[in-house]
Amino acid sequence: MMNEIAVMLFTPLIAGILAWIINVKGIRETIGVLGALVPFALLVKEYSTVVNNLYNPPTYQLTVSGFNITFKLGTLNWYFAAVASLVGVAMAFGMISTSRNSYDWLFAMMSYTGVLGVFLSWDFVSFFLLWELMTFASFMMVLKRNRHESLKYFVLSVIGAYAMLLAIALIYAKTGALNFDDIRHAMYLDAIMGGMSKSETILIFALFLTAFGVKAGAWPLHVWAPGAYSENDQSYTAFFSGALSKAGAYGFLLLYILMMVKLYYVMGPFHGHLTFAYIIAWIGAITVVVASFLAVLQEDIRKLFAYSSIGQVGYILLAFGVGTWMGFAGGLFHVLSHAVFKGLFWLVTAAIILQTGKTRFEDFGGLAEKMPITFAMSLIAVLSLAGIPPMAGFASKWLIYEAAIQAHMPLVAGAIFLGSALAFAYVVRFLYAVWFGQRPSDLEDVQEAPLPLLIGMAILAIPNVVFGVAPGLVTKYINKVLSYMLFLFGERKVDVSIVTGSYYKLVTPTGTYNALTVTLMLVVGLAIAGLIYIYGAKARRIPVTNTYQSGNPVTEDYNLSIRRNFYRPLAEALEFWLKYSFDRFYERLAGIAEDFADWLREGFYNGNVQAYSWYLAIVLLILALWGVL
Amino acid sequence: MSLPSISVYYFGAISLVLIGLYGVLVKKNLMKILISLSIMETGVNLLLISIGYVSGKSAPILSEGIGPAQAVDPIPQALVLTAIVIGVATTALALSTAMIIYEKYGTLNIEEIRRLRG
Repeated sequence: MMNEIAVMLFTPLIAGILAWIINVKGIRETIGVLGALVPFALLVKEYSTVVNNLYNPPTYQLTVSGFNITFKLGTLNWYFAAVASLVGVAMAFGMISTSRNSYDWLFAMMSYTGVLGVFLSWDFVSFFLLWELMTFASFMMVLKRNRHESLKYFVLSVIGAYAMLLAIALIYAKTGALNFDDIRHAMYLDAIMGGMSKSETILIFALFLTAFGVKAGAWPLHVWAPGAYSENDQSYTAFFSGALSKAGAYGFLLLYILMMVKLYYVMGPFHGHLTFAYIIAWIGAITVVVASFLAVLQEDIRKLFAYSSIGQVGYILLAFGVGTWMGFAGGLFHVLSHAVFKGLFWLVTAAIILQTGKTRFEDFGGLAEKMPITFAMSLIAVLSLAGIPPMAGFASKWLIYEAAIQAHMPLVAGAIFLGSALAFAYVVRFLYAVWFGQRPSDLEDVQEAPLPLLIGMAILAIPNVVFGVAPGLVTKYINKVLSYMLFLFGERKVDVSIVTGSYYKLVTPTGTYNALTVTLMLVVGLAIAGLIYIYGAKARRIPVTNTYQSGNPVTEDYNLSIRRNFYRPLAEALEFWLKYSFDRFYERLAGIAEDFADWLREGFYNGNVQAYSWYLAIVLLILALWGVL
Repeated sequence: MSLPSISVYYFGAISLVLIGLYGVLVKKNLMKILISLSIMETGVNLLLISIGYVSGKSAPILSEGIGPAQAVDPIPQALVLTAIVIGVATTALALSTAMIIYEKYGTLNIEEIRRLRG
């Protein structure tokens, strides 16, 4: 068992290094795909061990320069690692088609190792090291394509990393523990005895919130994400947004596991919710609304999905912030479904960009005939993201709604309803603008996406459908994750069963969702619609603007079509709010800091030797007064 | 004849350093600044020597009747010998630079020189 975790962790890294060194087209791709497959295969193999040792998970310990490093494969860790490696495999297949050189393979595989390591670590030494490996590798991927965006990502990541390091240092200073189990025990005792002051606890919480918030792209720390996701190899972005951003979400769960009792004692309840969780829920809700509005207004596919990624990770934060078992279940399910549908979206984007070289909506149209398989895949992704049954995205969003309503959080629930409506608005635009309608003449000779990319898409499309029709497969496992989390919280070995039902049917305390019935009805409905289309429809040609102007007179400068300025009325309605942008706020802050530094430099570094002598004399005087001299 | 207390030497040496520092900080004439530097250097050397002084002992030259126990500390003296040489060398270098500056700008006022340099 011990070796398997090590193999799982380091195969991608070694494969990446080998691919980088060998750098022969064909061989490096083979090595990369094998390196991505090994952790996935091992995780599948370990499934039964993990499930059967629910309260005594496989553990791997080693001592590195005086630090005890622990890796654990509990059901929680397995879940996140399995989701990450599934997306990792799809990424590797996609990269066969899209990557241009060995540099991409090296850093993509390096971040794969980092992500797995973050999910399997059970102490802060390895957690932090692998967290940084993950950040570094993803930074290098952005750096190669866009320096400005990589700088933004770098600065925010550094802020997050130092916040986390400071929090770890505070915890270590107060409890002397770095292992998660020890920290949890220490925090539990501390909650009763009150060793750590209120302000210190809140400081640690705030620092972790910053650290994990940056990685998850939570508002207002999300500004790095649109650039970093879009200025990248799109196959790698599938992993970046599908798996790497989940490290932040996982961090929030970790916060519960490590500090829940202590935080509850210190911050208390707020209207029947845990105050600290309530904060997380609201950060999630604001992220969902802000990012979804911005996604709707984008004119570039990559930017659209980048903002949509931020919004969807907001759902996960929100679900975790609800703080009930139902919320955890919904959040965990959404981790899986977001990984599979957003990974799929990015691979579709990779295919579109690879085959057409275009990224803006106005340049597309009618591609469904040219790339039918890619179109089918994107249809699955669209249905799943918009939360339409029978896709995985519906089941997970349904659980999150149930959780928010059950927990009596009407405003938060309203935020996700709004977010969902907006999500529908932007995916519909993607669907129509890219795949349907008139095809621009320069897209006449577009080919279907290459086979490896299609395999990568299929790897992610199948779980979308399978876990959508049989969501019970996932919820049964999630119940095991929740049992393990309960064991971590309170050490009682009780099997939690939050979402019951069969494989095709989800039953919660407030509702029932039968995926199979819905699927059957959908199939019947589609069949009827198809018959009507074939036998009853009379096609009629209408001007394209009729569909989009809603009866408004068409003028030259107010000519809305699905490809251009489609949501301009929305942008006009939001004009007041769009003035405020955290992106611009940070840029301005950076500008002010730069001006201040310039002023300092010109004031002090003025070329006057006597001024320098004065500085020296003053420093000597201060040292003398201090008693050093 | 009674020797003055050691603090007199310290006081004198540090005063010399401070006088030199004052010259460096406020005088505008380059030659005066160089003179101030020399004064400062003298002060430092004096300070070093007086740190090594042991009351009532003689020069650290081993000869008839004078052993290591009767001598003052020899290390500061060696240091000061080095420092004097370095001081002379830097002064010479600074003076030659001053000559070149005067040839180029026609003035020794440092404000003027800065203004002319632009």
